Amino acid sequence: MLDAFAHFFQQVMFGGADSFWPHIVHQAMFGGVAAAGFGVLFNCPPRMISLCFGAGALTLAVRTVGQSYGMALPEASFIAALVIALVDRTWWLQAQSLRGSVLAVVGCIPMVPGSLAAKGLKGIFEYMHAKPGAEVALGMGALEQLIIVAMTLAAMGTALALPTFILKSKKHAAE
Amino acid sequence: MNTTHTESNCISGGAPTLEDVARLCLAVGRMLMEWGANAGTVHNAAVSMATALGCTSAEVYCQHSAIIIMLRRGEDTITHMGKVGLHGTNLRRGDAANDVVDRVVAGRLDCESACQALKKIPGGTPAYPVWFVCLLTGVACSAFGRLLGMDWQGFIPVWIGAGVGQWLRHEMLAKKFNFFLMVAAVGFSAAFIAGLGGRLAGSSHLEVSTVASTLLLVPGTAMLNAQVDAIDGMPNLAVGRVFRIVFILLFMTLGLVLAQKIIGI
Repeated sequence: MLDAFAHFFQQVMFGGADSFWPHIVHQAMFGGVAAAGFGVLFNCPPRMISLCFGAGALTLAVRTVGQSYGMALPEASFIAALVIALVDRTWWLQAQSLRGSVLAVVGCIPMVPGSLAAKGLKGIFEYMHAKPGAEVALGMGALEQLIIVAMTLAAMGTALALPTFILKSKKHAAE
Repeated sequence: MNTTHTESNCISGGAPTLEDVARLCLAVGRMLMEWGANAGTVHNAAVSMATALGCTSAEVYCQHSAIIIMLRRGEDTITHMGKVGLHGTNLRRGDAANDVVDRVVAGRLDCESACQALKKIPGGTPAYPVWFVCLLTGVACSAFGRLLGMDWQGFIPVWIGAGVGQWLRHEMLAKKFNFFLMVAAVGFSAAFIAGLGGRLAGSSHLEVSTVASTLLLVPGTAMLNAQVDAIDGMPNLAVGRVFRIVFILLFMTLGLVLAQKIIGI
């Protein structure tokens, strides 16, 4: 039992993307750590840091499962953001509060394709110094990355907004 | 009465006039915007509070650097405009402002007490110590590195680089440096430390390490708010947010590319 756990842990920490469950656990764990870290950066109350970890872990797990079943990054991000937004919205509706979705936003932060955006912009910088003949490939590569960034953000934003339109609080429904 | 004013601060005294209510609503809206709320949240908060304080109708128009509010009570109307400062994310302060709104809506707080409660939020809301924020921001960026496929040798250098970057950001913002120069300086410092440290530690993913260390600068909340605002029918605010995000990313990439060139990645 202990050996099996040790083997699984080793695969989570050092295994590649080829092993399904260890890869999911790895992504969920570090997604949770990133969300918790950003929770502190955003001055989240201490009681919510564990929830931030859970939100980040959930979104990254859902996104990784989606991607492993062949979904594109924007599609998988949409599903993951919708899941956390629904959980978050249900929670706030129970609290009958007017405030916005804190947990959904922090949970989605690890999915923001910041590195892809940086790579896309870096591609544009490199495009300025491209040798003749290489500029089309460089430009297309940068454009492709920036399109994926835009589509992913649009998908996440839509998924975050959808539950607020569908699940209205009793107070707003009465108005 | 039909007046147009520019918000100076949230004042009160005696029975709440329409002007007092407008200033209170503007103060709440400004605080929520500066602390990371989307336009829908600002709109809900201001309208609910104005209604609870006796207004028969309330309209809120959010821009990136200003909020305009129009209130009506019987025959009286008032239009107020308030400036919005640097957008950031501070969930505990936002939570405290929302608490004030909830208490006003529930009838447990009058206009004057709400003004006093709002004034106390910036100085009275607890915050994590700077060293702790730097430490956890570094961990978050290292976790991003792992998510992007970085090897373990790069973990500590990215942690240190992003931690130093966060400290530099805190110091430069406190000293009122130009925001975009701060972004470039933090991006460069974080990427340089992470890249150099990764090379010394024997990491074979130096490019990922340098990128991961700068991810603390990506305005994730603003990106998500821009999308939500666009869908929520506030395209002007969304465009303002997107424009600023693009510039932040450009300056961040400038710092990153410079660091990578110096290190030789």
